[in-house]
Amino acid sequence: MTEIETIAAPARRLEWQAVEVREIIVETFRVKSLLLHAPRWQGHLPGQHVDIRLTAEDGYQAQRSYSIASPPEDDLLALTVEKVDDGEVSPYLVDDLRAGDRFELRGPIGGYFVWTVATPGPLSLIAGGSGIAPLMTMLRHRARRNVRNPALLLYSSRSLEDVIYREELDAMARGDPHLRVVHTLTRKQPEGWTGHRRRIDRELLAEASFPPEQAPKIFVCGPTSLVEAAASLLVDLGHDPLEIKTERFGPSGWTP
Amino acid sequence: MDAMSANDLDCVLDGNAAAGLLQEIFVLEITAAQIQCDACGFAGAVGSLRLYAAPMGAVLRCPHCEATLMRALHTPHGRWLEMRGTRCLRF
Repeated sequence: MTEIETIAAPARRLEWQAVEVREIIVETFRVKSLLLHAPRWQGHLPGQHVDIRLTAEDGYQAQRSYSIASPPEDDLLALTVEKVDDGEVSPYLVDDLRAGDRFELRGPIGGYFVWTVATPGPLSLIAGGSGIAPLMTMLRHRARRNVRNPALLLYSSRSLEDVIYREELDAMARGDPHLRVVHTLTRKQPEGWTGHRRRIDRELLAEASFPPEQAPKIFVCGPTSLVEAAASLLVDLGHDPLEIKTERFGPSGWTP
Repeated sequence: MDAMSANDLDCVLDGNAAAGLLQEIFVLEITAAQIQCDACGFAGAVGSLRLYAAPMGAVLRCPHCEATLMRALHTPHGRWLEMRGTRCLRF
């Protein structure tokens, strides 16, 4: 066991802390990023998540997990939230929250689905929809540290309008010959679209991702169907199951 | 732990998603810890287990043989952790 042990610092006691919304970025028509000031934050690793807790006036509490979207190098903590229409928490976060509002969170949580620039080898990231968030943290971290290990992002979205962080990803890929960003648009493509237009399948994975001989570190995040399909296809293609880390979307209703 | 019958297990996630719940119990980071299945001998990170999420807790199963390795429950009366199917944990 190598890098996992060196980067998984002993956890601190998880304690709830109040954070303040400093800025809200509209990413797509149903996704926003919340930039938070967390005075007691003690740093995190790319790929970790937080639990957030909202308390109603009558004391009712709802809790959800969100991936951290900002790299450890940034001052503000970013969470990227997709609105789930019948959700209990995300409509409030996306529609009602304003700069200056406060809520509680605890974290960082999780030392498994984590990548840092100290991890050797090519980095292969496979995202579906808002599953891009923890993977974007890894790419932002890699960019801030000017690391030039080969990296790939294979990103499946419904349409071009649904692509989160589109401009930032374009700029990142333009400025970095070692990073390749491959989009696939599964439902609707703009006129003249020459990119992929289907769900992530075996051929797309074989064509885009690093071959197993290069022993890439692979992270897959998105809806369950995409994650399970991609993970089993990658194993079929000869990748080591232990090098494939997956994070399926949490259901909107799970409150442990 | 009877409250967590198979019927309550409404969705499957990765072990990593149980980090918040488990980290309330463990002092060391739990998702990167290596866990060994007593039934089949599989060893891997807790974050790589199959997580069956239920309203008040989680069941973590071996990704190789589906044996139950951990059951964690958070009730108003306390936290429960049952690990009958686990041979060992290494941090």
